[in-house]
Amino acid sequence: MKKFFAMMLALVMVLSLAACGEKAPADDGAADGDEVKTFVMGIDPEYPPFSYIDDNGEYSGFDVEVCKAACELLGWNFEVFGVNWDQKLVQLDAMECDCIWSGMTILDSMKEAGYVLSAPYYYNTQVILVKDDSGITSSADLAGKVVSVQLGTSGEALLNEGGDLESLAATFAELSTTDSFIKCFADLDGNAVDAVFVDMPVAAAYVAENEGFTIINEDLGAEEYGIAFRSGDAEMCAEMEAAVAELVANGTYAKIAANYPDIDPVNLVFLND
Amino acid sequence: MTLMTMIMKMSEGLGRTFAIFALTLIFSIPLGMIVAWLRMSKNRIISNVTRFVISILRGTPLMLQLLAVTYGPYYLFEISVSRNKLIPVVIAFAINYAAYFAEIYRGGIESMPVGQYEAANVLGYSKMQTFFHIILPQVVKRIMPSITNEVVTLVKDTSMAFTVSYQEMFTIGKQIANSQTSFMPFLVAGVFYFIFNGVVDLVMGKIEKSMSYYS
Repeated sequence: MKKFFAMMLALVMVLSLAACGEKAPADDGAADGDEVKTFVMGIDPEYPPFSYIDDNGEYSGFDVEVCKAACELLGWNFEVFGVNWDQKLVQLDAMECDCIWSGMTILDSMKEAGYVLSAPYYYNTQVILVKDDSGITSSADLAGKVVSVQLGTSGEALLNEGGDLESLAATFAELSTTDSFIKCFADLDGNAVDAVFVDMPVAAAYVAENEGFTIINEDLGAEEYGIAFRSGDAEMCAEMEAAVAELVANGTYAKIAANYPDIDPVNLVFLND
Repeated sequence: MTLMTMIMKMSEGLGRTFAIFALTLIFSIPLGMIVAWLRMSKNRIISNVTRFVISILRGTPLMLQLLAVTYGPYYLFEISVSRNKLIPVVIAFAINYAAYFAEIYRGGIESMPVGQYEAANVLGYSKMQTFFHIILPQVVKRIMPSITNEVVTLVKDTSMAFTVSYQEMFTIGKQIANSQTSFMPFLVAGVFYFIFNGVVDLVMGKIEKSMSYYS
């Protein structure tokens, strides 16, 4: 029995050490002498088509590809860090990543809190996703219906008390919130809710892959996506913006956008200047 | 994404899930002993303070404790957050589980009849000898089923580490689920946890059996 314990303990220790030793902080490159900066991009890995895990299990998405290309231009090492969306700004503050860049809506509260925000790169609209046979064709039809929205999204902010669509939300039978949009969609699919409030590209990606759903686009709430940096990092933000501008100029930006049919190029600010 | 890629990707996180599990047990089992000892102290102040601390640890969600341990030092003392998330995660888990273990130990120790202490005293055993040679072996045997309960719960609680974005198995599963709009990763996670707990059951069963010296 003692032998058995000793073996178990040895196994535990080896595995634990292995876990501790993994992926030392990003600064390793600097130790080689020629100070290569590592840029850690903070993303929500659950937000296709902007940032997600692709079929090969790698981080991918429009934002990820753009940032990667920009880092190549700047000669920075590129790294991705998956944040927990509910506390993305806490994690940014705590230096776990250098920016939050993941289909993030620029909010006034972020500016007030002192974060450095990039120029907006995408115009987003909130849309309503319903089933084809629901008979709902406009937001007025939502009266007395159950509507679902993802927690912490700008759609939720609009529908909540004090939001621009508060009066619309008052007509709902119920406003249901879940922690991820996949659960909103599952509720809709399973008839637990009648409609889902969601960002346009997310809805488009879902409709492209699943039959029987319709998007109602009524210009319910317009907002802009941007990149957030820590308060002292205005210089880093400027460098990144310049690199992205160069990508736009040399056509790489449009090429990346073409890989994502769910992102309407009409809404990409840099492609419409 | 094929099922195989999904399973491979999630198994990458399984090592980290196991690290949380194993390190938490290694630290919380002895720590619980110390807490139980403080809790049963004859000194009223020590025992009441310990009781209060235990009630906080058991009375607040583990998720909040994880947040507090990970980000608290940064916001309170400007100590930067550990790049290796395993450290704060294990600290939070170990402290939380030590509180539960402490109460289990106390239940076991207090269930021993006073007569045994008196008998040991008469036979010339010191207090230390009485505890380690007579009381403790019986306590361990008695509390084993409760300990197994906690260990099984711990396996499933490791999923809580997603709150501080430690990339363990469930965190990765959740990310894949939303990236691929599929519930499949949750099923895979369920199977992983079930197998993990199957092994835990087997090991704990073996330990219990080795202690059933009367049958």
